[in-house]
Amino acid sequence: MSETIVQTNKLVKKYRRGKIEIYALNGVDFEALRGEIVGVVGPSGSGKTTLLNMIGGLDKPTGGTVVVDGRDLTKLDAGELADFRLKKIGFIFQFYNLLPIYTALENVEVPLSFAKVPKEEREERAFELLRLVGLETRVDHKPDELSGGEQQRVAIARALANRPSIILADEPTGDLDSESAISLMKLIRKLKEQHNQTFINVTHDPLVVQECTKVYTIRDGRIQLNEKT
Amino acid sequence: MSALNMALKSLGRRKLRTALTVSGIVVGIAMTLVFLSLVAGMDIQAAQMVRAIGGADITVVNATRMTRQQFQQGIINTLDESLVTIIEGVNGVYDTSLQLSLRMFVNSTGVPINGIDPSTYSVVTGGLNVINGSSLSEGSEKEVVLGKIFADSLNATIGGNVIVSSAQQDGESYEIIGIYETGIALQDRGCYITLDEVQNMSNKENLITAILVKCVDPNEVPTIRETIASLLPDARIVSPSAAIQQVSNLLNTVRMFLFSIGLIALMAGGFGVINTMITSISERTREIGTLKAIGAKDQQILKIFMSEALLLGLIGGGVGVSIGIIFSILFPMFSGGLSGLTIPGIGGRLPGGGSGFPGGVSISPAILPSNILLCFSLGIVVGVLAGFYPAWRAARMRPVEALRHV
Ligand SMILES: Nc1ncnc2c1ncn2[C@@H]1O[C@H](COP(=O)(O)OP(=O)(O)OP(=O)(O)O)[C@@H](O)[C@H]1O
Ligand SMILES: [Mg+2]
Repeated sequence: MSETIVQTNKLVKKYRRGKIEIYALNGVDFEALRGEIVGVVGPSGSGKTTLLNMIGGLDKPTGGTVVVDGRDLTKLDAGELADFRLKKIGFIFQFYNLLPIYTALENVEVPLSFAKVPKEEREERAFELLRLVGLETRVDHKPDELSGGEQQRVAIARALANRPSIILADEPTGDLDSESAISLMKLIRKLKEQHNQTFINVTHDPLVVQECTKVYTIRDGRIQLNEKT
Repeated sequence: MSALNMALKSLGRRKLRTALTVSGIVVGIAMTLVFLSLVAGMDIQAAQMVRAIGGADITVVNATRMTRQQFQQGIINTLDESLVTIIEGVNGVYDTSLQLSLRMFVNSTGVPINGIDPSTYSVVTGGLNVINGSSLSEGSEKEVVLGKIFADSLNATIGGNVIVSSAQQDGESYEIIGIYETGIALQDRGCYITLDEVQNMSNKENLITAILVKCVDPNEVPTIRETIASLLPDARIVSPSAAIQQVSNLLNTVRMFLFSIGLIALMAGGFGVINTMITSISERTREIGTLKAIGAKDQQILKIFMSEALLLGLIGGGVGVSIGIIFSILFPMFSGGLSGLTIPGIGGRLPGGGSGFPGGVSISPAILPSNILLCFSLGIVVGVLAGFYPAWRAARMRPVEALRHV
């Protein structure tokens, strides 16, 4: 049995839009073990992104607890949360969110520079990571010179830069063709096998779901663990 | 990957916008520098005039109006030497010196000649600004000190001789013992010999054109001036130090006024920076959200955008100062047709040294390193001040909202 790395307990997130209150999350119990690839599916507006944001320490819950890698995130202040995201979490977005002014290598260096890794080591590590995702020939290309699949690989390399224990991906294949999506998932499986990292993927994509060790479904802020098929 | 490097790349990516934003600062800085250089130029001119006028606190001359005809005939308003005893009786007067300034001839050229009393001249006025050789001394006889321009035109050298003559008397040889410079052309075209010699040559025994007065306490000059005026109703009394004070006050006012205009222009540039930065930050909202998700602290985001503002200020300051310097150098060309600026109140109105000043004095701006430094720093200050609010807004963005931004 692997250890629990992410656990939420009766997690509630309430948004207020004018006079209307929206429960984006309404009592969510979620668990991920180290080394798992967890899928989160559900209709649009059901609260998937909100759940990822809570686990990643990007936002604070209205109620309940989030414990990640032994830390209760509700007890951390903004600075500590930033540090937590830097060291423990890697984010992957649907539209890659690379910095357009930087080359692939520099994009991977950004989180390393926030972590104050010295320049030479930074470059070395960024290059290693790009090799890991199969982009060693593309290090000097800017995002607009890369295909969607390549950009997402750069984003993965960036997410891995500070050796996080958890990678949170919001629709990682949402903007990719199926071929790129398949090779991306292969990459994720390889990383998981090599480094025992935990992936939590929000997705609509059956290709992604297929690779997951377990899958949650969210509907109207409530979560349910799918029966193994 | 430093904040500065990041800022540099972001600015470089939107070159046109960056250039337009910077130009706002450039205009303000360049304007301020040109203005400050102009006033500095006026300051220098005023300082030269002070030197030209000499240090007499009060100068008393005959106030009788002359007709144009009289003037052309070379008739000169003189005062009687004996008046000096009245002035010396005034409380607070430290010393006096007499002067007779006339048009005579040196090597047959008509020039203004000033006769002074070497025993008191230095005490009262601070003396001539002799740049070569020496000034007249108490025992001087048949010695002359030439103005620089005049000396140059004669190719005169120390130890050489010139012939001084007047309408009334034949020429006599004078030895050139010194050359002085005031910076005022008309003054530097004249020369100085002793008062006795001028009086003898012009048959004006016991007559003078000016009584120069030095007061014990400079602060009492206005009071003493009033007293003398009441004792000598026909005399015109000029106190250059008071006039200079006025000019310097006026210059300060002009400086403040022009500086304010420059600052207002700079402020407009500052608002340009605020505007550009707010636009750029709202365009880059997702980028900021991403940086925060990756682990950037508020303070690191602040640093990135403050660096952009600082760079805008640095470039604006640098380019602004350069353009300001160029315009200051070119300024005399633009103003040439207008015969330059004049310092109000000084031109032609202060006959202290004996001869009048030309009616207009053209100003060439003086580019002072201190002003360059001031303007350059102003650019940086404006950039940083203007950048602070937008940068703070960027730093305070909530990452979730920023990431939802499309
Ligand atoms: N900052 C916010 N302010 C107000 N309402 C919000 C905010 N963030 C999310 N919501 C609302 O909360 C609910 C859940 O949003 P969330 O983004 O988690 O959905 P999602 O499952 O990720 O949907 P999608 O598949 O479209 O990305 C939605 O109704 C959304 O409108
Ligand atoms: Mg979503």
